[in-house]
Amino acid sequence: MAAAVPLLSCRNVGKSFGALTAVNNLSFDVGAGEILGIGGPNGAGKTTLFEVISGLNPATAGEIRLAGEDITRLAPEAICHAGIARTFQLNAGFDSLTARENVQVGAYFGRENRAMPTFRIGAATKKLADEALALVGLEASADRITGKLPVLERKLLMMASAMATRPKLLLMDEPVGGLTAKEIDRVMQAVRTIKAAGVTIILIEHVMRFLVQLSDRVMIMHHGEKLFEGAPGNLVNDRAVVEVYLGKGASERLKSFMQAAGAVSHG
Amino acid sequence: MTPIRRDILIGLICIAVALIVPFVFGGRYVVTQATVFFVWAIVVVQWNLVLGVGGIFSLAQMALFAIGGYATAMLGFYLKVPMLVAIPLGGLIAVVAGMIIGLACLRLRGPYVALLTLAIAQVMYVLIVNDTGCFTNVSGCMPLFGGVRGIGQFGDLGFRSLFPSKWYIAHYYVALGLLALAFVFSVAVIRGPLGLAFKALRDSPGYALSRGISRFKYQLWIFAVSAFFTGIAGGFYAVHFRVIGPTVFSFSLLLFLIAMIVVGGMGSIWGPLLGAALLMLADEGMKEFSDYRNIGLGLLITLFVIAWPRGLAGWFDRLRALRTSNPD
Repeated sequence: MAAAVPLLSCRNVGKSFGALTAVNNLSFDVGAGEILGIGGPNGAGKTTLFEVISGLNPATAGEIRLAGEDITRLAPEAICHAGIARTFQLNAGFDSLTARENVQVGAYFGRENRAMPTFRIGAATKKLADEALALVGLEASADRITGKLPVLERKLLMMASAMATRPKLLLMDEPVGGLTAKEIDRVMQAVRTIKAAGVTIILIEHVMRFLVQLSDRVMIMHHGEKLFEGAPGNLVNDRAVVEVYLGKGASERLKSFMQAAGAVSHG
Repeated sequence: MTPIRRDILIGLICIAVALIVPFVFGGRYVVTQATVFFVWAIVVVQWNLVLGVGGIFSLAQMALFAIGGYATAMLGFYLKVPMLVAIPLGGLIAVVAGMIIGLACLRLRGPYVALLTLAIAQVMYVLIVNDTGCFTNVSGCMPLFGGVRGIGQFGDLGFRSLFPSKWYIAHYYVALGLLALAFVFSVAVIRGPLGLAFKALRDSPGYALSRGISRFKYQLWIFAVSAFFTGIAGGFYAVHFRVIGPTVFSFSLLLFLIAMIVVGGMGSIWGPLLGAALLMLADEGMKEFSDYRNIGLGLLITLFVIAWPRGLAGWFDRLRALRTSNPD
C-alpha cells in the first residue's frame, strides 16, 4: 500500500461536463515507486481522470496533491514542471519533427519553467534526450520523422519524451492499445525499465494480461466511480468486476493465465 | 556536410555574389530594385517565423512593417531623433505592437487569426487615410500620421550628402547587411529552442502543453521575434524612399509577399528568400502585364497551395531524399 505521504493523492475528485459527470467523488492514493493499473469499461472516466490530473481539463471538484503540494488548479505546463508526465491514447507527437527533436522538447521545456529561453538547446539537454531515447530502445530511429514512424515506435517515443521531462509520476493511457503480442512484450519491458529508474506509474489499459502483470495494485472504474481497488490477484474473484467489466469468459481466461503465472490468490 | 555547414556555405556564396552586384550592374535601376528586394526579403524571412514555423496565419506583418516605418518617421519628424537611433527604436516599437497582436490572437485558430490581423491592418489604414485634421502647420497642414500623403522630411542616414551621386549604392549595402542579420537571426530562431517550441505548438498544441510549453508565453515570443527586423525594415524603407505613406498597407503588396513565402516554401529556412528572389524577377519581367498582376499572384498561390504545399524548398528536399536513397 501507499507510503506515509503518498506521491499522488486524489481526494473526492470530480469532473462534470454540464449535467454529465465523467468522474465522480473519486479518492485514491499512489505511493512512490508503485504501479497502479486502472481498468474499466469504455466511458468509465479513465482518460478523463488523466485529463484532470495532468491539468488539460481541470477538476470541477476535489483536490489533487503531488507529494503534498496542491496541483489541482495548475496549468498543464506547470503540472509537467511539477513532475507529472503523460502519454496519450492516440499517438500524439510532433509529426514534422524527428524522433530526437520530439524528445528534446520534453528534455528542454519539461523540466522547469524557463523565464527566458536560451539561444541554443545545449549539450546537456541533448545528452538527456538521447538517454531517454536509449531507455526505450529507440536510438536507431532517432533521426526519422515522427509522422512516419510505425505505431509501436510512436508509443515508445511518447514514453521517451515523457521520461525526458524527468517525471516523478508517469501517466500512461493505453500504452499497448492496438499492438501485437510481441510488441506488447517490448512495451512491457520498457515499463519495467522506467519503474526501475524510480518513476511511479499509473497506467490505463484494456489488455488485462498487461495490466495484471505490471501493476502492484489495480483500480477498476465504472460510471466515473471506483468499483474495485486492490491486488491484481483479487480482481478475477470480485463479482462486481466480473459482471460489469470482464465478463465470465474473460475472467476465467485471466484466472488461468494468472494461475499459470502463479500470481492469483485463492479465496 | 551537416545542414548547418551547408547553410553557412550557401549564405556566404549569396553574400559574395550580392557584394559585387553594384560593380557589375552599376545602373541605378538595378541597384535600387535589388535594395527593395532586400527589404521585402527581410519581411518574408521574419513573416515565415510566424506563418511557416509557428503555423499561425497572421496577416499583420505589413502592419508591423508600417509601424516600424511610421515610428521611425514620426520620431524623426516630431522629435528630431537621428535615424540611426530612430530605426532600431522603430524595431522595438514593432516588437511591442507585435506582442499586443499576438495577445489578441491567443484564443483564435486558423482563418480567424487571418481575419483579425487583416482587420487590424485595415483599421490602421483607414484611420490614417481618413484623418484630415491639422496636427501641425510647420510646413503646411499635416495630420498626426501624415494622412494620405504620408510623412516626409524626417531625416536621413547621411549617405545622400556623403555620396551625392552614388548614395543608392550605400543604401544597397545597408539593406544587404540588414538582410544578412535578419536571416542569421531567423536561422538561429528556427534551429534553437524557440523554433522547437514554435514547431511543437504548430504540430500539436495539446501535446506541447503537456510537455511543459506554455502557449501564452511562446505565442508572444513568436510575434515579438518576427516583429523586430520587420519593424527595422519598415524604418529603412521610410528612410530609403524619404517618405512613409499608407501605400504600405496595400492588399496587392500583401499578396505579393505571401506569394513569395508560399512559392518558396512555408516553414523552411531558404524557401522565403528563394521565393522573394523569384517573384521579384518575375514581377520585373512581366511589367507590361501589370493590370493582371493580382490575378496572376492569386493563381500562383492557388497552384502552389494545391500542387506543392511545401513550395520550392519541398522540391529540393525531395531531390536530396532521392539522392540519399540511391547513394551511387
